[in-house]
Amino acid sequence: MITFMLNGKEIQVEVPPHWTLLRLLREKLCLTGTKEGCGIGECGSCTVLLDGMPVNACLILAPKVEGRRVETIEGLGSRESLHPLQKSFMDHGAIQCGFCTPGILMSSKALLEKNSQPNREEIKEAISGHLCRCTGYHQIIEAIEALKE
Amino acid sequence: MIPPFEYKIPNTIEETCDLLWKAKGKAKIIAGGTDLVIGLRNGDQAPSVIIDITRIEQLRKIEEKNSTLSIGATVTHSEIASSPSVRKYGKVLSDAASEIGSPQIRNVGTIGGNIVNASPAADTLPPLMVLNAMGRVISKEEERQVPLAQLFKGPYQTQLKPHELLVQISFQKLHPEVKSSFVRLARRDAMAIARMNVAVVFQVEQSRIKDIRIAVGSVTPTPQRMSGAETFLEGEKLEEKLLKKASLKVSETMIRQSGIRPSTSYKQPVVEALFIRAMKKALEE
Ligand SMILES: Cc1cc2nc3c(=O)[nH]c(=O)nc-3n(C[C@H](O)[C@H](O)[C@H](O)COP(=O)(O)OP(=O)(O)OC[C@H]3O[C@@H](n4cnc5c(N)ncnc54)[C@H](O)[C@@H]3O)c2cc1C
Ligand code: FES
Ligand code: FES
Repeated sequence: MITFMLNGKEIQVEVPPHWTLLRLLREKLCLTGTKEGCGIGECGSCTVLLDGMPVNACLILAPKVEGRRVETIEGLGSRESLHPLQKSFMDHGAIQCGFCTPGILMSSKALLEKNSQPNREEIKEAISGHLCRCTGYHQIIEAIEALKE
Repeated sequence: MIPPFEYKIPNTIEETCDLLWKAKGKAKIIAGGTDLVIGLRNGDQAPSVIIDITRIEQLRKIEEKNSTLSIGATVTHSEIASSPSVRKYGKVLSDAASEIGSPQIRNVGTIGGNIVNASPAADTLPPLMVLNAMGRVISKEEERQVPLAQLFKGPYQTQLKPHELLVQISFQKLHPEVKSSFVRLARRDAMAIARMNVAVVFQVEQSRIKDIRIAVGSVTPTPQRMSGAETFLEGEKLEEKLLKKASLKVSETMIRQSGIRPSTSYKQPVVEALFIRAMKKALEE
């Protein structure tokens, strides 16, 4: 049994230790917004925030989140009220197939929380652990840049 | 899919040593897990017990003591890259840590894991070698200090025993006038594990090279100091021609250690150029 904060709510869940956080989220908690691409830390589509830091959920064993804070795309906004990042991604055409989007949004959120005025280099660095096969990254960078205060 | 195992989360070094001792070689330590989880997935590793050392406070500290800087085994690459003391006293390591993998990997991957995984391409190893870093190793039987360079037996192999824990790494603080740099060549910019990396530290006194240390990764079975090139350069006047000659000593060492391989004709000019780039970068900073 592990206990942790998931999108602001404390939860308790029975999970075998050899499950990854990604598997726990998708298969047990039915939070399928976090995607599985490569499964080996290369693509970033499984990115969630652990104590506010972007991590690859495919490389985190479930017991590691005991007592910690996990944020997934499901906690970012809702259908009725989108997070400003979600809105900006839509406005800038930064979403095509959408597979990379949840992960990139989580990394973008972590960036803006740490640094509300990121420059282009800092934005590129923040999303360097994500592969997007559709957009060519340009629109994504612009969507994040548009949220600078 | 990852096969099952028991998961232990000790709070102290002592407890960890006990668990390792009792497991009789069937346990594996997990720090960040960025190498281990992939090994479990591939079936390269199948431990019956996994011991998570990331909750041990003592292993998570960066400490300054007189002339040395110590870094706990589970300090992450992100923490190293953002530490002002590492930047000040071991910039070559801080530079390497900031280039590893991706933000996600750096937030989780640790220096201890990078060392013990012993990949020939591991990015912190050439910097640690030019810093003459020492590792502190503890087990139920004994505690010892090992020069890091002596820890490696071959690709992905160290001389650590299965019941030993790497506790910390320490090195002599570099003086502000010491020049240093880390350069790496990767397949893609971010993410790709370096295909070659070079670290140098040296001083320049009256335009002569002093106390030079050079280490190269990924071209030999384990990252190595380039003692041939070091001896050649020591006390010499710093000139373009000299660097070119020294770069040949570097590639000679590579060929002597690894033999002529299909990749040699590609690697030889690259390692020479990368070494020269590292020297120039150190001089510019
Ligand atoms: C996508 C991706 C990109 C990467 N890019 C890079 C890169 O650019 N450069 C690079 O160098 N590496 C890279 N790596 C490799 C990896 O992230 C690093 O080697 C990292 O530092 C490993 O640390 P960890 O804490 O995750 O190790 P773990 O996976 O937890 O452990 C690795 C090994 O060391 C052992 N171990 C760990 N800590 C200790 C200890 N204190 N005492 C004894 N044994 C211990 C474990 O039992 C295991 O065998 C990358 C990995 C991935 C998945
Ligand atoms: S699925 Fe985790 S990084 Fe690709
Ligand atoms: S939008 Fe398709 S992978 Fe990024």
